[in-house]
Amino acid sequence: MKPLIRVVDLWKQYEKDGQDSLPALQGTNLEVAAGEIVALYGKSGSGKTTMLNLLAGLDRPTKGRVEIEGQDLEALGEEGRTRLRRERLGFIFQFFNLLPTLTAFENVFLSVELAGKPNPEVAQKALWAVGLKGKEGRFPHELSGGEQQRVAIARAIAKEPAIILADEPTGNLDTRTGDQVLELLTGRCREFGTTLIMATHSRLTCRFTDRMLRMVDGIVIEENS
Amino acid sequence: MGIACGVAAAVGMAVSAQTALSSFTQAVEFLKGRATHSMERPAGPMDENILKKLMKDSTIEAFSPVIDRRIALRDGETVRLLGMDPFLDRAIRPELVRSRFDLSFLLDERSVLLDSKLATQLGLRPGDSLETSRGTLRVVATFPNPSSEPIILMDIAHAQRLFGLPGQLDRVDLIITDESVFRSRWAVGFRIQSSHQRRATLSDMLRAFRLNLQALSLLALFVGVFLVYNTAMFAVVSRRKDAGILRSLGANRREIIFAFLAEILLLGSLGGALGGIIGYFLSRFLTALMAGTISNLYFFLQPTAPDWSWGVLLLSILLGCAASFLGGFFPLAELVRVDPGQALQGRTASRRIKKSAWKAAFTGLGILGASLVILNTSDIQVYVGFASSFGLLIGASLLTGLTLIALGPGLKWTLRRLSGFPGKVAAGNIRQNLGRTAVAVAAFMVALSMSVGLGSMIGSFRQSLIWWMNTQLQADLFIGKISEMEVPESFYEEIKSTPGLGGIDTYRNVQIVYQETPIYVSAVDASVLQKYTSFGWLKGGNENWEPVKKGAAIVSESFYRRFGVQAGDQITLNGVHGPAQLKVAAVFYDYTSEHGVVMMDRSTYLKIFSDHTINSLGIFVDAENPHSQQLLDEIKRKARSRNLPVSTRDQLRGNILNVFDTTFAVTRSMRVMAIVVAFFGIAGALLTLFMERQREFGIYRALGFSTRQVAGMTLMEGLGMGLVSFLLSIGVGTALAWILIRVINLRSFNWTIFYYPAWEPYLLAVATAILASLGAAAYPIWKVYRTYPQMQIREE
Repeated sequence: MKPLIRVVDLWKQYEKDGQDSLPALQGTNLEVAAGEIVALYGKSGSGKTTMLNLLAGLDRPTKGRVEIEGQDLEALGEEGRTRLRRERLGFIFQFFNLLPTLTAFENVFLSVELAGKPNPEVAQKALWAVGLKGKEGRFPHELSGGEQQRVAIARAIAKEPAIILADEPTGNLDTRTGDQVLELLTGRCREFGTTLIMATHSRLTCRFTDRMLRMVDGIVIEENS
Repeated sequence: MGIACGVAAAVGMAVSAQTALSSFTQAVEFLKGRATHSMERPAGPMDENILKKLMKDSTIEAFSPVIDRRIALRDGETVRLLGMDPFLDRAIRPELVRSRFDLSFLLDERSVLLDSKLATQLGLRPGDSLETSRGTLRVVATFPNPSSEPIILMDIAHAQRLFGLPGQLDRVDLIITDESVFRSRWAVGFRIQSSHQRRATLSDMLRAFRLNLQALSLLALFVGVFLVYNTAMFAVVSRRKDAGILRSLGANRREIIFAFLAEILLLGSLGGALGGIIGYFLSRFLTALMAGTISNLYFFLQPTAPDWSWGVLLLSILLGCAASFLGGFFPLAELVRVDPGQALQGRTASRRIKKSAWKAAFTGLGILGASLVILNTSDIQVYVGFASSFGLLIGASLLTGLTLIALGPGLKWTLRRLSGFPGKVAAGNIRQNLGRTAVAVAAFMVALSMSVGLGSMIGSFRQSLIWWMNTQLQADLFIGKISEMEVPESFYEEIKSTPGLGGIDTYRNVQIVYQETPIYVSAVDASVLQKYTSFGWLKGGNENWEPVKKGAAIVSESFYRRFGVQAGDQITLNGVHGPAQLKVAAVFYDYTSEHGVVMMDRSTYLKIFSDHTINSLGIFVDAENPHSQQLLDEIKRKARSRNLPVSTRDQLRGNILNVFDTTFAVTRSMRVMAIVVAFFGIAGALLTLFMERQREFGIYRALGFSTRQVAGMTLMEGLGMGLVSFLLSIGVGTALAWILIRVINLRSFNWTIFYYPAWEPYLLAVATAILASLGAAAYPIWKVYRTYPQMQIREE
């Protein structure tokens, strides 16, 4: 079966003061099947976020290829990559990154509206699914960290994406809350067959995943099922 | 830049107003010389035989007879020509007479002295010829003139010949040792004014103009300060998170205040300094405009551009600092009150924002209510009218927050219609960032309201002027030009007998002093005007001319309002035979002069003033006359053969409208300045919103917003703010127009302007709103296209 995500010989090098610095990714290869839940495990600075940004088309590789659903991201162009993020990808951040001047409902509804499905019920159901019934009207600063991350999850799942990319989704939460969030996220993905790639520096997160890919200095060096 | 623009507007206006008005004062002082008094007939020239009697008056230390007239140069500018006796004038104006000139000044009847500035401007040197409406004059020498009024000097005898005043003088300037004795000797038949009185009279002529310049300066200051307030407020509000970080690191409130205050004042100083420099250059441009207005309406002035002064720079810096402090004060006060944790959250939505908007709206309504109450007071001073205008603008500004909330759904619908999803998001952004958008909208609304208000006022005034011309200026031909030419009585006699002529109005317009105030007296042919014109009367109709034919007078509305004189009252004018009582028959609408006009039949005028001068002739031909055109052509030919200027009715009206349009050049510049200043307000708001939301743009990108969508959103934010500003300005601008027309103009100039509603000011405002807001969004959109495709959120 053709992989949903395919990364071939991917390199990313950042310039600092006009000179090349150490590459964030060094010839990484990766394949992820549809519906898989994968942990991208490594320490801070190992290249996890860089990898996720490249998979989402938010950044462009120095060398190599990223294919999502058989399409080369580079060939799609910026417009195509944007459409991909809008319709096929969900993104969850470590620090939630909700729009501060929108309520929980409005944050989720924005995502579905953007995807061309302006149905308020979809947003509402997504919020209820993450256990935030009754808190739709709250602003982010009126929610706890765990609740904000739930809103972020609702925002990601509401548009029923093919892939969710989560960058340290529990990095800013206590262990108990983090576990709850991970259970919710992975449970939801399994239910809907959504592919999930989570960047994490905690081995404990890997308990919830099907595969663990270890990143060290920009290279995926081993994988464990 | 925002601070600089605000300060530049205020400084530019204030400096130019000061320069133009002080130029006038300088001119008055220079011409006065050492004279303590002046002596002239109440109206018209006086017989030079008076000099023989003056020579014998022991209270006179020195005197100098003067011909004081205007002469038109080839380019159309009219310049003061002083005819004086160089020997007698030595005691009065020694600076003038110090000039070097040779005997030809006395012997050559066409020789003149030219002031050096005028000579330079015209490119003339001693020996050159000067072309004028009265023929060619020869420049014998130049003299230094520190004042801003161009002057030509001529020997008095030659001046008498040039202006057709044989044996006559305009006035005598005197140095008197005993005023009371002198007055007691010469009281009857003469107007004696001390230099102080003369200065006051001349100054009074500019009273209304000066008042309105002050108002325009204040308005420029208001708009300028608003913009500075806007800018300073953003500087604090956008750094809320920084304050939270500092507090969490251990900085106390005082240190936070000091840090931000230092930044605000530094920005204010730099912006103020830059604004002072820009304002100085702006003032040079505005001074020329103001001089044009004074020259058109009062007397020819050519003020020199204001000199650079470090005082202006200092004042600009102080203004920039004060306005910046004002702008930063409230957000800074709020900032130090808030807990560090809250501040660290940076920009958040606040449920208090709606409450704050309501609070501001109530305050605004209170100010509006107070302004309305003041306006409805029956007898209000013009300053109170100005205060009400500012109250209106301030009150309306405080309503913008609530208006943005109330108009939210409508704005969302409109912007969504215009650009789909980005428009909807933009409407939400405007609503959610009320702390920034409301102030920017308020500033723009003020500028657009000023544009609408001033535009409506000017338009209504113009229409009123056209209506007035249709009532009074009905002659088929006008011969003569009031400002610089007289029509010889012999010419009048010559054409009076032309067969087929309907009527001739012999018009004389002269300034006199009434109750220590300059007014104008007009002499007309009452029978002719009764037959051929339809004056705009406050009460009654053309039957009002009947008593005028029998010796009564009619007064202009300005005169009636200024002196409280109504139909049926008596007025006393100082005539050549002493005080003359006149009954006031009626009051008529008039825009000739804001000082007031007393109009009488020529026969009455001659009895009181013995002045046979005719300033112009109005020629009326009956419409039924089949040879009317030939008749008029014949009269034109005769007039031109005597070098008399001739205008048709349409030409005269066109000239008047040109003068009117030039007069409002300063006001029009003010409208443009306000728009420019407010443009920077909107641009500042959009840029600040853009910069504050960098992180949010990263989220937008991750969610799948395209560059075009984000650019569209930015554009719609600008357009949305512009549209709301325009909607508010419809009401506020109309109210401002009403105040300007019904209150300020009435109280400043004592005449009624009729309100003529027109589309043009509103169409101009909406076009300005759209173009300015689109223009203001240009730079943020460019930044979006440049930076958005690379935006990412990095949290490792």
